[in-house]
Amino acid sequence: MAREQGPFKTDNPWPRIGWWSVAGLLAAGAVLGFVVLGGEQQNGPRLGTWTAICRALGIASDTGPATAPQPPLQTPTRIAWTAATLARIAGGDVKHGEFVALNCAACHGEQGVSQSGLFPTLAGMDAGIIYKQLDDFRAGKRSWGAMNAIATALSDQDAADVAAYFAGRVNGLAPILGENFHGGRTLREADVATRLAFAGDPARGIPPCAACHGPSASKPGAPSLKGQRPEYIERQLAAFAQGIRQNDINRQMRTVAMQLTPDEMHAIAVYYGSGAAPAELAGR
Amino acid sequence: MLNSRRLALFHCWVAFGAFLPAVLLGAWQMLMRSPLPAPLDDPGAYYASVTLHGTVMAYVITTFFAMGFGYAVAATSLGRPLRGAAAAWAGFVICLVGTAMAAATVVAGKASVLYTFYPPLLASPWYYLGAFLLVAGSMVWVVLMVVNMVGWKRDNPERPVPLAMFAITATALLWAWAAAGVEIELVGILLPRAFGWSDLIDAGLGRTLFSVTLHAIVYFWLMPAYIAFYTLVPQAAGGRLYSDTMGRLTFIMFLVFSLPVGMHHLFADPEHGSGFKFLQSFLTFLIALPTLLTVFSITASLEIAGRHRGGRGLLGWIATLPWEEPMVLAVALSLVMLGFGGFGGLINMSYAMNMMIHNTSWVTAHFHLIFGGAVVIMYFAIAYEMWPRITGKPLRSKALARWQLWLWFWGMLITTIPWHIAGLMGQPRRIAIFDYSLPLVARMASLVNISVIGGFILLVSAILLITVLVRSHFGERSVTEPLRYALAVNPPRQVPASLNGFALWNAIVLVLMIVAYGYPIGQFFFLKSHSAPAVEVTSQSAAAGVQ
Ligand code: HEC
Ligand code: HEC
Ligand SMILES: [Cu+2]
Repeated sequence: MAREQGPFKTDNPWPRIGWWSVAGLLAAGAVLGFVVLGGEQQNGPRLGTWTAICRALGIASDTGPATAPQPPLQTPTRIAWTAATLARIAGGDVKHGEFVALNCAACHGEQGVSQSGLFPTLAGMDAGIIYKQLDDFRAGKRSWGAMNAIATALSDQDAADVAAYFAGRVNGLAPILGENFHGGRTLREADVATRLAFAGDPARGIPPCAACHGPSASKPGAPSLKGQRPEYIERQLAAFAQGIRQNDINRQMRTVAMQLTPDEMHAIAVYYGSGAAPAELAGR
Repeated sequence: MLNSRRLALFHCWVAFGAFLPAVLLGAWQMLMRSPLPAPLDDPGAYYASVTLHGTVMAYVITTFFAMGFGYAVAATSLGRPLRGAAAAWAGFVICLVGTAMAAATVVAGKASVLYTFYPPLLASPWYYLGAFLLVAGSMVWVVLMVVNMVGWKRDNPERPVPLAMFAITATALLWAWAAAGVEIELVGILLPRAFGWSDLIDAGLGRTLFSVTLHAIVYFWLMPAYIAFYTLVPQAAGGRLYSDTMGRLTFIMFLVFSLPVGMHHLFADPEHGSGFKFLQSFLTFLIALPTLLTVFSITASLEIAGRHRGGRGLLGWIATLPWEEPMVLAVALSLVMLGFGGFGGLINMSYAMNMMIHNTSWVTAHFHLIFGGAVVIMYFAIAYEMWPRITGKPLRSKALARWQLWLWFWGMLITTIPWHIAGLMGQPRRIAIFDYSLPLVARMASLVNISVIGGFILLVSAILLITVLVRSHFGERSVTEPLRYALAVNPPRQVPASLNGFALWNAIVLVLMIVAYGYPIGQFFFLKSHSAPAVEVTSQSAAAGVQ
């Protein structure tokens, strides 16, 4: 037995076969993948070798014809949920936030617990969401007279601070991830609001509200709704549906709300809104 | 040899003990997805159940089975007691603790992230820790396999390592390479986030690391079956192995080609360019080589056996094979499923065709057919072969064992063929409930119902398996013949060093891995970050469902 065969002694047959076939396979795969396929374009001439390799590596964006005039860019918001944004929000100072919040109590209620259907409850809302909404008001991405003026008066730091303050208040919105008050195959649930909240309506492409707004799961930017003023919820749904409110990233809410009937909006608003138990809706 | 007997037995009992409940979960999941009413009708419970089913089937059963089989093979093929039995028991305990931790966390509803983890989904740290321990414990086994093989070679410098031992060591090495991906993902990405030491999860890097594991792990599952093909089947059929060298080459090729190919699981992922996806897809096709080689060798070995038993003519030898032997029956059923499943696999691994079936039920059906079918049926056959040798008590009834194998075979075909079709019709995977009142979904209803029937046949078969094993356990002690391996037609007296050890092949794997994964992993550290906020599913409604 040729016991002294080392892995790199290519004068022995097996190492030679092994290394040469591996080298050949890698070379063939690399040429095909990086040069041949990388240079292929659906509607256009082949790319040069160097460009093809970069593209196959994923470090160059498509080099296709980009001369066509671009429509003006319209973004729903200036905020993106990047690490930097989240770090900025996490830096909010509650003490200073409490001071800023003195300007809010008149409308949003003592400690952010609203007493009127016109104003949303802010207590317990995720700081990131408050921060985003304030920025949207400031940038004119969301409109409501007084709020636009107030938000413009706040600095970016003020916004982060007041967001931190309201996020920490209690007696407002329920925590976004909580008990599963309705499990089961709710697709067959008779009550409209519970069905939409927990199963959605696949036929119309409506995902369950609970998948973003809790309590089953949460998505960045989606506030807890349990405990929000029902009138406010209903108005926001209508605003999304009619395109009056357009600050939702990826049209997440507009696509949902556009599919809802006014009755459904009402039922859902009552269901999520404070104090309303689902049983009361049975008759609707 | 006694020291390895108990080891093998304990490992196998854990594997098969976990198997039955996991099949039960699977059957319930089939019911949940179907138009039929299901008990405990809750989507949250569904995801917890899928997580548990996947974790048990993919990590627990396979790892324990491979370890138990490995210890038995090491002792019997080398013909001497296992070295390092104490360490082996320690590894067993570590794996068991890890399993218990992971399973308890899933049952508590704190880890419905599915067994592939899917960052930025986030589970409780206990789940990740459990998975980590399970994999880490199995590394003890890897080391022991290598130690036993190297030790034997040193003591027997003039003899080639027996094929069974060579193959199980290849399996262990393959697992060591493969597991590195998931271990690094757990330690470097998931655990730090789960413990709250970091805010974000680099989902792209996590998925890339997992892909290192994800393809090769399939071959880790498969290898015990292939070892049985080469070393046990010809013996059970009363013949000889067609070629020992072909066996060695097969296991070497599995080791080399199943590793640098995992990116075929990332075809639809945005974090990589097309170049490396293609390169790895290209390398994936090479796995067909050892597979075809095996089909050829095993058929040839069976033909040798059949002719030896008096079979004549072109196909006459098939009828003379000892079909009453579970091992012979299993290999035939396994090869049929491998044929169907392998064909589907060609579609999955093709960069372009993959897009048609990406994230559909086709994929789930595919791996159930290949792994749950072709591989697991060989696990059963190995158990039927090994049990009597380990316990000294013969199977009470080979007929019952054959029934069990046939039921598993038909159950798996009835489950997976309609499942494939539903996938082609666009049914997405990982969905708890479908609304069958929609016209598009309604078309799939009868297919899904057929799958459910198959699922319940599988459940019956799993119950039979446990019945057969338990019954033989309480039987009388009569046989003591140890596990015997097939001789080759021309038993090797000398083999080249490269076919008798792994130095060359490990070096080749290293180079291949650096070429195939160096840039795809390295880019995360200097080019792009895919960090995203984690989506915690620890407090998901699942808790209410599984209580
Ligand atoms: C004059 C009354 C008024 C004052 C004062 C006021 N707000 Fe508002 N705010 C509103 C109204 C009304 C809305 C809802 C607008 C709509 O319906 O689209 C609102 C909405 C918001 C929202 C969006 C909430 C959501 O659920 O999307 C935030 C955040 C907010 N206000 C923060 C503040 C802060 C912080 C202050 C104090 C610095 C403040 N507001 C002061 C009237 C007021
Ligand atoms: C895909 C995730 C998603 C789903 C599903 C979803 N929402 Fe939303 N929703 C959001 C996000 C994100 C926002 C915040 C938009 C923004 O950035 O201004 C939002 C905002 C809202 C608001 C305004 C809240 C406020 O305080 O201003 C209401 C009301 C609302 N959603 C109701 C619903 C209802 C009812 C459903 C179910 C029919 C639903 N949503 C489903 C993501 C979702
Ligand atoms: Cu794969």
